[in-house]
Amino acid sequence: MAVKVAFMQSSDCWGCHQSLLNAHLGLLNILPALDIVYWPAVVDFKHDSLKARPDGDILVGFVEGSMRTNADIENAKLMRAKCQLIIAFGSCACYGNVHGLANQWDIQEAINRKFIEAESISNENPKEPKEHMPGFASKIVPLDEIIKVDVFMAGCPPKPEAIFSAVEFLLGQKPQPMSETAFCNDCSLNNESCLLEKGTLCFGPITSTGCTLKCTDNGNPCVGCLGPAKSVSSRVGKLAQMTENFGQLNSGDKKNLYEFLTLFLNVPLMAGFDLAGDILQQVKKTGETQISLANLPNETGNITTNIMAFLKNHRDFTEISTVCDTCPREIGSKSQMTKVKRDYEGLPNLEDCLIEQGYLCAGPITRAGCGGLCLKVNAPCSGCYGQTAWNVDQIERYVDVVKKGYNVALSKEELLIQVKDKLGFAEKFTLATNKNYR
Amino acid sequence: MVKEIIVEPVTRLEGHGGLRIVIGDDGKVKDAQFNITSTRFFEKFCEGRYCEHVPRITPRICGICPIPHHLAPTKAVEDAWGVEIPPAAYKLRQLLMNAKQYSSHMLHFYALAAPDFLLGPFADPALRNVVHVINKMPDVGAMALKMMDFGQKLCAEIGGKSVHPVSAIVGGMKKPMDEAARDKFLKMVPEQVDFMKKTVDIALKVVNDYWDVVANVGVVPTYYLGMTKNGVHDIYDGDLRIVTPDGKKIDHDVHNYLDVIGEHIPDHSYATHTYYKPAGYPDGIYRANTLAMTNCADKMATPLADEALKAMKAKIGDVSHHTFAYHWARIIEGVEAIELIAQYLEDPDIVNPDCKTLDVEPREGSGVGVVEAPRGILLYNIWSDDQGICKKLNLLVATNHNIAGIEKTLMHVAKQVFEDKALEGLNLPDPWIK
Repeated sequence: MAVKVAFMQSSDCWGCHQSLLNAHLGLLNILPALDIVYWPAVVDFKHDSLKARPDGDILVGFVEGSMRTNADIENAKLMRAKCQLIIAFGSCACYGNVHGLANQWDIQEAINRKFIEAESISNENPKEPKEHMPGFASKIVPLDEIIKVDVFMAGCPPKPEAIFSAVEFLLGQKPQPMSETAFCNDCSLNNESCLLEKGTLCFGPITSTGCTLKCTDNGNPCVGCLGPAKSVSSRVGKLAQMTENFGQLNSGDKKNLYEFLTLFLNVPLMAGFDLAGDILQQVKKTGETQISLANLPNETGNITTNIMAFLKNHRDFTEISTVCDTCPREIGSKSQMTKVKRDYEGLPNLEDCLIEQGYLCAGPITRAGCGGLCLKVNAPCSGCYGQTAWNVDQIERYVDVVKKGYNVALSKEELLIQVKDKLGFAEKFTLATNKNYR
Repeated sequence: MVKEIIVEPVTRLEGHGGLRIVIGDDGKVKDAQFNITSTRFFEKFCEGRYCEHVPRITPRICGICPIPHHLAPTKAVEDAWGVEIPPAAYKLRQLLMNAKQYSSHMLHFYALAAPDFLLGPFADPALRNVVHVINKMPDVGAMALKMMDFGQKLCAEIGGKSVHPVSAIVGGMKKPMDEAARDKFLKMVPEQVDFMKKTVDIALKVVNDYWDVVANVGVVPTYYLGMTKNGVHDIYDGDLRIVTPDGKKIDHDVHNYLDVIGEHIPDHSYATHTYYKPAGYPDGIYRANTLAMTNCADKMATPLADEALKAMKAKIGDVSHHTFAYHWARIIEGVEAIELIAQYLEDPDIVNPDCKTLDVEPREGSGVGVVEAPRGILLYNIWSDDQGICKKLNLLVATNHNIAGIEKTLMHVAKQVFEDKALEGLNLPDPWIK
């Protein structure tokens, strides 16, 4: 039976919807499984029809946008009442997005600029529109300060793959075993130089085979792209042992784990691994959808359970997965930051870390999930997936992190002086979460 | 008894709005409002930002048209600082704009507008959407999705991301196109041209089927605002052009925009009402967007599109006030977009690494940047200090240019519907999808 879903758009740009639509032909597979009961951007159901539904009638509610107007806040509460599971869909709902930068000012100053002072205004006595208008919240706060949020899906916008894997996951469509035998059977390293035996986390024993074997041919572990196999290889015991004791993992292993989580288990690229644990709980609680782990070999089930338990109990695990972890550029390159360059200065090369080339890049303090899209076209990260640590001074933290891990010749003090727009750089997407600006 | 008809929210559009029509005891329409209920104050919170970061923030104004919102502020800063860009960057930006134009126009035609025509205006609202169109006309649905996909993927290739692109920088572009990617997209062009021709056929059939509607519903004389480069249709570069209700065309340098465009703050909408300043408010209310652009254009930039423009003008006049002809004009712009995409992909400059001016220096001053977004003229006026920090920003965004015109049209149509009962006599076709 099709699952009831609703999309609520708050104050924002429609970009999360566009990102969902960007799956284009992929939509044909997913749409039949959804019973869309509210989505003003696409279907004609009106607000009254949403209000008329019984509480909890809808399984999944996507709430998009920032809480700028009083209507945004009322609609969020309405969605909470009508939906069993609420997804904060995109960085506006998760963190307030760029609109939160307005929290630097009293709302009246923003209203004056737009409705009274703008150069092109021609009324003799212009004033804020009030007739049938909702009015504004004095400060923007993230959605989870208004209603309880079950799942955070960050990104501006979240990638279509992430949205889709979230929807598929909720529908219980994955994972499904593919090949009869596991990856190890075809692996070029299986005999003499098995990575698992050397202590590297490799998911070959439980993963379907049939790929190009490119990872292991290049000396890298299998991260589980093809999903589970119908049987396991003889090395599964070693893998199970490692997943029972995650204390010894190095950062490379954690990166593999991250990829495994998204590719193998198809857990959506939410705003952090911890939430992947949450979503499992939530989906089980609703009872209407379930993950089809039933068809998997016992060992595979045990290993994935170990991993999920680990992730769920280590909320600070997100700290290690930054945009830099997925950036194709070299850190520790031949370049060195000797002054902070502005983006318009010169033109960076495509190989070296942008920070080391002198540019301000928010990668080191920004959550992974995008795959480093901006970096690939030579533009620095601006932080749209949100930060990896909260309730800290972001620019101080940034400076500490780059001083420690990157080729930077400036002192902490010099760095702080040379970053003129500190909020605009380090908290562009998240200022609404900063309680110093309330 | 006074009757109030409220449509909340208006669906199948980008943004937040409701309609409110008030009908008096005498059956006359007393008021028609288009209430836009959200705004986010970009004008304010861009203050204090690095000028070159403004184009990394403002795409969030619109997720459908983030590319115009990336390029217009970049042009404004270049104008303020006196920066010239290399020819390769100019062409990359034109290609990026047209890729967006193509996907957005196809999204609008197939996903937002088509359900009305294919199912007919009296269809079940639960079914009147693109999902149903895809189910009932899978071939057309798949074609539409492939067209949008092509445009969005090309945007992502050049812009880094299709939603909220990042590759333009004051002084040019951060990166040229890869040769391999260029070759890949060039190979896809013939199929897209074929799709576009099929779309023209569908659109012309819709126009013919609904001719009574096109010719008689919502025909409202207004001014029009668009952009041309020496009279030729252009969405990235040119002068503002105003067309008067009686068809006179007047060009204005973008720097004089404050003499051309006035902004009236209404009581009932956060989106302001823009109008042609010399004519005053409300007489000077204009419309923007596709039909405004074809009303402005003496000719299109490419051969097939120009042929299509001539055919449309032969039928509805050089300057048309037919609101439903907006769809037709959109298709003509779509044809131009795919022809320009082909033209720019074949240009060797698209892969030329010399796509950024290296010595860029901030200076104090005001700059104006204008492009034509898929929904109309998009204008940024930025004030920079001598360190290149944004002191002030004034925005006239695309959708905004249509709000007053939509409200004026709404009043006209409300009278047609509720006073004249004009819909009852309309000649409507059998829906394609029953």
